[in-house]
Amino acid sequence: MIRIAALIALLGGLAAGGLVTTIVLIFVLRAWWSTPFEVLGFGGPPEQPIPFPHGVHAGVGDLLDEDGNVVTYADGQPKTALGLDCTYCHRNVDKGASASVPPVEQCIFCHKAVQEGEDNPLPGLANLISAWENKEPVVWERVHRLPDSVRFVHEAHIRYFTQPGNLLPSGEQATVAANTCSTCHGDVAAMAEVKQVRSLKMGDCLDCHRDYSAPTDCTTCHY
Amino acid sequence: MTTNRISHKWGMVVDVDRCTGCQSCVVACQAENNIPINTEDVFRQRRAIQWIHVERYWEGEFPDVRARFIPVFCQHCENAPCEPVCPVYATYHNNQGMNVQVYNRCVGTRYCANNCTYNVRFFNYWEPVWPESLRNQLNPDVSMRSRGIMEKCSFNVQRLQKAQRVVEGQQGERLTDEKLKEGNYLPACVQACPTNALVFGDFLDPDSQVSHLKEEHLDGHGRGYKMLEHVGTEPNVIYLKKVDIHAKEVVKGHA
Repeated sequence: MIRIAALIALLGGLAAGGLVTTIVLIFVLRAWWSTPFEVLGFGGPPEQPIPFPHGVHAGVGDLLDEDGNVVTYADGQPKTALGLDCTYCHRNVDKGASASVPPVEQCIFCHKAVQEGEDNPLPGLANLISAWENKEPVVWERVHRLPDSVRFVHEAHIRYFTQPGNLLPSGEQATVAANTCSTCHGDVAAMAEVKQVRSLKMGDCLDCHRDYSAPTDCTTCHY
Repeated sequence: MTTNRISHKWGMVVDVDRCTGCQSCVVACQAENNIPINTEDVFRQRRAIQWIHVERYWEGEFPDVRARFIPVFCQHCENAPCEPVCPVYATYHNNQGMNVQVYNRCVGTRYCANNCTYNVRFFNYWEPVWPESLRNQLNPDVSMRSRGIMEKCSFNVQRLQKAQRVVEGQQGERLTDEKLKEGNYLPACVQACPTNALVFGDFLDPDSQVSHLKEEHLDGHGRGYKMLEHVGTEPNVIYLKKVDIHAKEVVKGHA
């Protein structure tokens, strides 16, 4: 009996060990080839110094709370999203390599007037105001980061897809620069906290470059 | 699918007769390509990194002494000895006639440098460091090469990429072979040369300046020669030999 129990324990141990190994392996391989699972702080959205709501700024239509109800002001008027174009804040995106995070001054353009009210809580606005008054930048956490050896130019991609006849992978025709962003960045307006949705690994880039017969020479991106 | 949509053969013509050995090309190259600062100590160890360097030769005895200069940089050989020896395919020839070094593929075996006929490949023996005051002058368009990476003249491929984007933006459509001409893109050394000793262009474009010079000097009976031509590397750089009014005898063969 003892022998049988020992054998069962051994097999059970092996099975458990194999299971753990398999789980770790799946996690590592998934992180290696794609985006990591959102556990233990991997893969999820980074914590930003100001909980900036992209939905309020870039979204369209009435604002909804977590339960799906329309958010209203004290007088019952529904709050609507601003529907700003991505390029309204990320101003360099169709001009140069980097999309550029707006400087504090640019936030203050609007938020000098748009202040926190009783029925309009703006969490984190105090941080923005203090950054403005102390003449310090807001230290945003970077969400999308490519390796140093890669040169990605936003402008070239946006220019290509906004030309007539060049359809996006989704099959739509982009008419303004902002139509193209969600191809790689996902629907940012629908995210409470912005996170990376595509792996943005070299294979990801190359798949698309091959689909569009874009150059795949190494020096296109690595120099 | 046409990934090889552009074909150029970028190359250079170096008129040694015009070179004064002023080293502006060297300075321009160091600044453009984020090349680490070469100290005296580094030179003593023969580990200095200079993508373009001006070789100096003395001729005659004092006081009748003359200096000869020749700028030497990667010759972007058609039949490059560095390419087949790379075990990781980090150096290869692209469809624009350039010998390309892919830094993120390089594992630092140094076979390529050992096999290079012209000694124009440089190995980063140390992590490059710049003084704090020079951090902001680094070129953001060029990768930092870390320790253990081979590097060499790239014909400023970052400028080529930028030129392609600019021309594409102006034309409003994809680039074809004809649209990118030599005037759209110049390496830093060519821009900096005060005597126009360096001429850059596309050898496949029959109207380019380099093609005319090649026709005049290499195919005809001019001053043109290729460096160490007998090795058979077929360089894309043509040198025009010095016109020596003091020459006492006619030198046969190469300069």
